[in-house]
Amino acid sequence: MARPADTIAALATPAGTSALAVVRVSGPDTARLAAAVGGATPLPRAVRRGRYRDRAGAAVDEVLFTFFAGPRSYTGEDALEISSHGSPFIAQRILADLFARGCRPAEPGEFTQRAFLNGRMDLSQAEAVMDVISARGDRALAAAQQLLAGALGRHLGPLTDALLAALARIEAYIDFPDEDLPPEDRGLVRAAIRALQADTQRLLATRRYGELLRDGVKTVIIGEPNVGKSSLLNRLVGHERALVSAEPGTTRDFIEERIIVGPHCLRLIDTAGLNAAPQALEQQGIAKTRERLAEADLRLLVLEAARPTLPRTLAWPDDFSPANTLVVLNKADLAPAAKPPPALADFPFVAVSALTGAGLPALTAAISDQADRLRPADEAEGIFINARHADALSRAAAGLADAQRQLEDGGPVELLASDLRGALAAFGEIAGRIDNERMLDRLFAEFCIGK
Amino acid sequence: MDFNRTPFDVIVCGAGHAGAEAALAAARMGASTLLLTGNIDTIAQMSCNPAIGGQAKGQMVREIDALGGEMAINTDVTGIQFRLLNESKGPAVQSPRAQCDKKAYQFRLKHTLELQPHLQIFQATVTGLIFSGGAVIGCETNLDLKVYGRTVIVTTGTFLRGLMHIGQNKNEGGRLGDFSSKTLSASFLDIGIELNRLKTGTPPRLLGRSLDFSKMREQKGDASPTLFAFHDTRDSEDLFHVEHTGEQRLGWAPGTRQISCWMTHTTDQTAAIVRSNLSKSAMYSGEISGVGPRYCPSIEDKFVRFADKPRHLLFLEPEGLSTNEYYVNGLSTSLPFDVQVDMVHSVPGLENCVLLRPAYAVEYDFAPPTQLYPSLESKKAENLFFAGQINGTSGYEEAAAQGLLAGVNAVQKGRGEPPLIIARHEAYMGVLVDDLVTKGTTEPYRMFTSRAEHRLLFNHASAEIRLRDHAARHGLISRSRLMRVDDKIQRINHWLAHLESHRDHGVLLGDQVRRGGEPPAFPEAFLKESIEVRQQVLYRVNYKGYIDREERQIERLGHIEKVRIPTGLDFMAVRGLRRESALKLAAFRPYTLGQASRISGINPTDISLLQILIEAGRGGAAADEGAGPN
Repeated sequence: MARPADTIAALATPAGTSALAVVRVSGPDTARLAAAVGGATPLPRAVRRGRYRDRAGAAVDEVLFTFFAGPRSYTGEDALEISSHGSPFIAQRILADLFARGCRPAEPGEFTQRAFLNGRMDLSQAEAVMDVISARGDRALAAAQQLLAGALGRHLGPLTDALLAALARIEAYIDFPDEDLPPEDRGLVRAAIRALQADTQRLLATRRYGELLRDGVKTVIIGEPNVGKSSLLNRLVGHERALVSAEPGTTRDFIEERIIVGPHCLRLIDTAGLNAAPQALEQQGIAKTRERLAEADLRLLVLEAARPTLPRTLAWPDDFSPANTLVVLNKADLAPAAKPPPALADFPFVAVSALTGAGLPALTAAISDQADRLRPADEAEGIFINARHADALSRAAAGLADAQRQLEDGGPVELLASDLRGALAAFGEIAGRIDNERMLDRLFAEFCIGK
Repeated sequence: MDFNRTPFDVIVCGAGHAGAEAALAAARMGASTLLLTGNIDTIAQMSCNPAIGGQAKGQMVREIDALGGEMAINTDVTGIQFRLLNESKGPAVQSPRAQCDKKAYQFRLKHTLELQPHLQIFQATVTGLIFSGGAVIGCETNLDLKVYGRTVIVTTGTFLRGLMHIGQNKNEGGRLGDFSSKTLSASFLDIGIELNRLKTGTPPRLLGRSLDFSKMREQKGDASPTLFAFHDTRDSEDLFHVEHTGEQRLGWAPGTRQISCWMTHTTDQTAAIVRSNLSKSAMYSGEISGVGPRYCPSIEDKFVRFADKPRHLLFLEPEGLSTNEYYVNGLSTSLPFDVQVDMVHSVPGLENCVLLRPAYAVEYDFAPPTQLYPSLESKKAENLFFAGQINGTSGYEEAAAQGLLAGVNAVQKGRGEPPLIIARHEAYMGVLVDDLVTKGTTEPYRMFTSRAEHRLLFNHASAEIRLRDHAARHGLISRSRLMRVDDKIQRINHWLAHLESHRDHGVLLGDQVRRGGEPPAFPEAFLKESIEVRQQVLYRVNYKGYIDREERQIERLGHIEKVRIPTGLDFMAVRGLRRESALKLAAFRPYTLGQASRISGINPTDISLLQILIEAGRGGAAADEGAGPN
């Protein structure tokens, strides 16, 4: 079934400086390319050391070539892995050369997509693999592995059964009006729908946390100019990344860094300072800051320990709550016994010195605690759903809500049933089609039908 | 000896509810048609209860009428009680039901068949099929006459190796007093058609004058009956055919001769009698291998499976105006006759009753319908069609619906034209055939409204509108009736648009309707429209949100209905397909992606995978109408 595909290439390791960088190539032209750049015909599944030579014949780096002959490869096609030294420059030169030789840059996830298309894995596995690949942090990995193991399907089982039972109670009175059935009890149906709504919402609530796990906790560092936000970011990241300056207002673009804190991945975002008398350019920066703030999962509100006053420009205190904000009293080396101002008395706080590193372990522990609080109180076996599941579950929830409304309004029973059937079909999109036969099984088990 | 020199276009074997509609449909399309029946006196006999319609079935009978079938009109003019079921539950699930005068029903249909041009009836029992090169070319009969035809429709009902049980007593036959078709099964097996056993049952028949109706509750018909046929678009001569032929066919003005049914119930004593005799029941002593229907359990089953239910309702239904025989609905059993007598006498009002016929269970062969194309043609033998109980269904209405489709499709096949295939979103008839050929059945299949995912669109009065295009394309209704249907559709559409675009006191008329309560100030012209037009308009306005949603769904899923799965695709070899899905697909062998998507446990991932495979492998094999080779 393999359709003719072009040959794709991409960096398989994260961009940036590292010990090694791996460039991956997959597609029908791979074997020829491997011979061209490595100077020898590759043997399947054997690692060969050699020089990567570009089209001009210049040696780019000393590398390891690993060739996989299709279909015994990840994608099911011929594939090549080139391990070079981990300079971004080397990897970029190799990629540039491969593109010049006719490869196409791979789309995100395209290697896995090819694996799926070539029958190397099913779609749900492919989805889970994408989750595993992009899992940032232990929790995310555990959640992805749960999905791989079909935990969501198992979790949906009881929900589906409850919905089938409720539906059977409705359908019996529609399809067997002449039968000697017990008086119709809508109270049971109402209670069942309510319970189902709660369960569905609980699953849906795992979506946001699921996203946090996959994409990282969006953490915005906010504070007045010159309180040391960028220094704090740098200290957290562990290396100089943001441009640090003593002049207020140097950070106009947002600096984003990912770090692992405890079991969590954090996306640290440094923002423009909240300037009291902003220039036009600063004004723009502040508008963007507000946007960032609105999207943030967690806020690090940085105050100067010596003068821990609320930022004067902080005209939107509603955005901050003890649940989503951690107060960081920076420059604590200058004022060791500092406390947050009375207005922030309820907020968790940590005193640190970005300059000396003092208090950093306490800060990362506090961040980790705050991130833990984002986890839904009542999580279902560590299941965190993805966007496709969320879409189906949202439709199920909407169907249940409509059904609830029909029940309250005393609407026609055929419409009530239609809403419930919609919800059932949505569950089925995740767990596999739920045949009407299963509803009938419930119906005939529960009611004596047959005049 | 050969019966005919020129082959018939269509031979129909069996003249029950499936066979009668099949023969009429084929002949009305102008095909030379032969209807073979083992006994002309039992044409269109109601072997079980003397009633037509009910939940989902009632809608289906109206669909049969919309496609030019005979069941609806035949019921209307021989009906002796009409009731609209679910009147309080909303227009989509309301269903007409009628008790019929059993003999009048039969005789009128027999007469109709006799008068039908292009149709010949002949009494002979089909004993085998004649094949040539994998295709059927005719039948052998018990009279040593060979009959040849281009196509053959088999409607054997319960007669295929039919075996009746009353306690330990066994009689061969498909119905008490009738024969069993014993050799035909071999013909099917020879050509590779798999057969299986099903079971059904029927209650005793009682003598009316031995019943005490004062101990029972009366169930009257509706004062204004809901009929099955579309009389508002029908030609008047359609009803009695008097103008054309001068004949006087049996029947009366619909709803003019209504009589009552009676309700009573079982007692503790009934339960005790049944329980203490369970071991004598054919079903409970292991005599019967066939699977019975869950929705129509025997009285033994009811007392065993629902032990906490103290009593079960029974309905006494009159079998006709010119007979004193009553059918006891709810008392199907395979207990021995002496136990049946004790059991019946334990019921209030039946203490002194006289049994005219015993209850019995009957086992019969059916051919699992997954062996059929959606045209109802066999995948195993070309030009061979199946309809009715041989496909594992139960019910006169289900049989008639299949008969009509098989009749049309046999003619189409003979002419090299595409078959009539009704989609699931168009009618119960579409759901019926799709369920049968996609999923098959393990019990006698009966239609329920819940089987239709688009039930809200299946309002009984809309059948003519839903099936208009099919009827027109195959010429199943007269030109004048089609014009009246089109006129009706046009009026409905006009008023739908009007109510959704005109306001009264600033509020859209449609919104006023949907709000309920006092009806809005309708235009004078709307109030002058027929009740049929007004009802359709109001139903659609009231349900607009839901109907729109259904239609969007149909559109969204429509494309996969048209994607053919290549015959012979090895599902097990589709890499990446979950093993459990592959096993199911391999077992059901769906014909289109739409069919595949309806198999239990199949999820959108499986469908995406198949779709990618088919479209990549075949460059997008668009479906022909999805009906098998032509």
